Amino acid sequence: MLDAIDRALLKTVAELEELPKGAYNIRKNGKLLDRHVSANINIETNEDETGIIVKIKPGTKNESVHIPVILSQAGLYDVVQNAFVIGDDAEVTIIAGCGIHCGSSEPEGHAGIHEFKVGKNAKVTYVEKHYASGEGTGRRSLNPTTKVFLAEGARAEMELTQIGGVDDTHRVNEAVLGPNSLLLITERVLTDGEQTAVSTNDIVMKGRGSRANMISRSVMKGNSKQTFYATIDAQNQCYGHIECDAIIMDNGTNETMPSLKAGHPDAELTHEASIGKIANDQLTKLMSLGLTYDQAVNRIIQGFLK
Amino acid sequence: MDGEETEDELSIDRIRKATYIHNAQILREKANSMLELQKVYFTVQDTEGSDGGPRNIIDGIDYVFEDGKFYVITGPNGSGKTTLAKLIMGVNPLSGGKILFNGQNISALTITQRAKEGIAYSFQQPARFKGITFRDLLTIATGIEEEPRLLEILGRVGICPLSFLDKEVDARLSGGEIKKIELATTIAANPKLAIYDEPDTGIDLWTIGPMVSLLKKELAENRTTTIVVSHNKAFLEAADVVMIINSGRIVYDGDLEGAMPLLDDLSVCTYRNSCEGERDAGCYR
Repeated sequence: MLDAIDRALLKTVAELEELPKGAYNIRKNGKLLDRHVSANINIETNEDETGIIVKIKPGTKNESVHIPVILSQAGLYDVVQNAFVIGDDAEVTIIAGCGIHCGSSEPEGHAGIHEFKVGKNAKVTYVEKHYASGEGTGRRSLNPTTKVFLAEGARAEMELTQIGGVDDTHRVNEAVLGPNSLLLITERVLTDGEQTAVSTNDIVMKGRGSRANMISRSVMKGNSKQTFYATIDAQNQCYGHIECDAIIMDNGTNETMPSLKAGHPDAELTHEASIGKIANDQLTKLMSLGLTYDQAVNRIIQGFLK
Repeated sequence: MDGEETEDELSIDRIRKATYIHNAQILREKANSMLELQKVYFTVQDTEGSDGGPRNIIDGIDYVFEDGKFYVITGPNGSGKTTLAKLIMGVNPLSGGKILFNGQNISALTITQRAKEGIAYSFQQPARFKGITFRDLLTIATGIEEEPRLLEILGRVGICPLSFLDKEVDARLSGGEIKKIELATTIAANPKLAIYDEPDTGIDLWTIGPMVSLLKKELAENRTTTIVVSHNKAFLEAADVVMIINSGRIVYDGDLEGAMPLLDDLSVCTYRNSCEGERDAGCYR
């Protein structure tokens, strides 16, 4: 059922060697390939058949859901609308990812729109990896969107990674935070050649005592270009922080626009942003430990995107 | 002071005498040479001076470092101590002269090549990395990944608690923590020549003694030739040889006692006014 290319893509985006244990839903070339549900986690196709609804029962502990998407069909642009409903007090890890294998000159792409409703005091860890490969010349585009709604005391940790090979991407992350909820987003994007990436992040801090931390790590190789927008809109007493660092290699370019809006006198908002080449003192240090210049560059980038 | 002779003239006279003694010593010490500086220059275009001409930060230093000795380089701020140390590691390129390491001319070698030859360097302001841990740095320095052997290194260095191992070497570390990590990675590399640039900055008073003992122990057990750039009394007292650098030249080398009058003249001690010459300010800074 899984061929060699499928296996390679699955391994990269979901770290799966074989079919996962627990609940999963594997989508290949716009169609369901395989699905498995568990006692606490139900997966069903939504009404208009544009995606799936994943429901996690309240109080579920230490379970995981894998929902990888693989594309290897030339000319296909696959759009999927998935919803995740996480019950109160549940703790769950959701592993998504999209791997594209492009073997022809025709473009391929995927837009995954993921909506999360996280119940009271529930915790969700969402890991998403994007990757494209293949000898074909067709453009590969990935345009993921996440929309997160956190109820009181809920917590979401989002790890969003685009590892390589994607020609253009427009990533959108939106979140609305309830009282005492916590949102941690870490986005890592590596671009090379003529690739472009745009990331737009809008975090609305509605609830009193909510906290958000958005971390962005970008590396631009070749002539690639990345643009990063992040806005925290504080509507209550809350704490928000944006940290965006970009490393420029070769002739890469970057625009970073963090934006903070305090609509409440007790909002505490901070941001730090940096764009530049790898710091000289870092290279010198690693070379003084015996690495060559190139090895030092690789090690620093590897750590930065870890 | 007798009123006839100004303080400046006195200093110059002492510097001349010290330079003479120092040159005589070079000839004696050549036998055990492990690091030899020959007419070493580091020159920059002076942006501060009126003429904008070249200025020698290191001004033709000749010196022979002996194998297995503990050297402490001191001198006023801006005298060229760090620049000299960086010339040895290859961080700064030589503007003139030669550096021999165990008889081999290393002047044209890169930092990496010098590291592989057995020179290690602790930076005064260590680099901070996002996403690289102390464990990663130890592995890079030693090639060792196995937990028990990494713990062995921690035990040997002693000043870094176990909790440091998986800390990221980033901006969240305190000044003292990162200096301990810097020192530990230098020792872990098992160098033949270890250079420490102001290892005591940011370190708490209670750790400086053990730090000195540690460097002495490494020297005794592994015959690590040690060069420390420092103003700290604890290091100066531990030195086999105290070297004083002023305006890019070595103006003294010898024991601490002999260095004291010159250190006073150079006003290396900025607490002189408060301690009124009693030297009880706790350090010679």
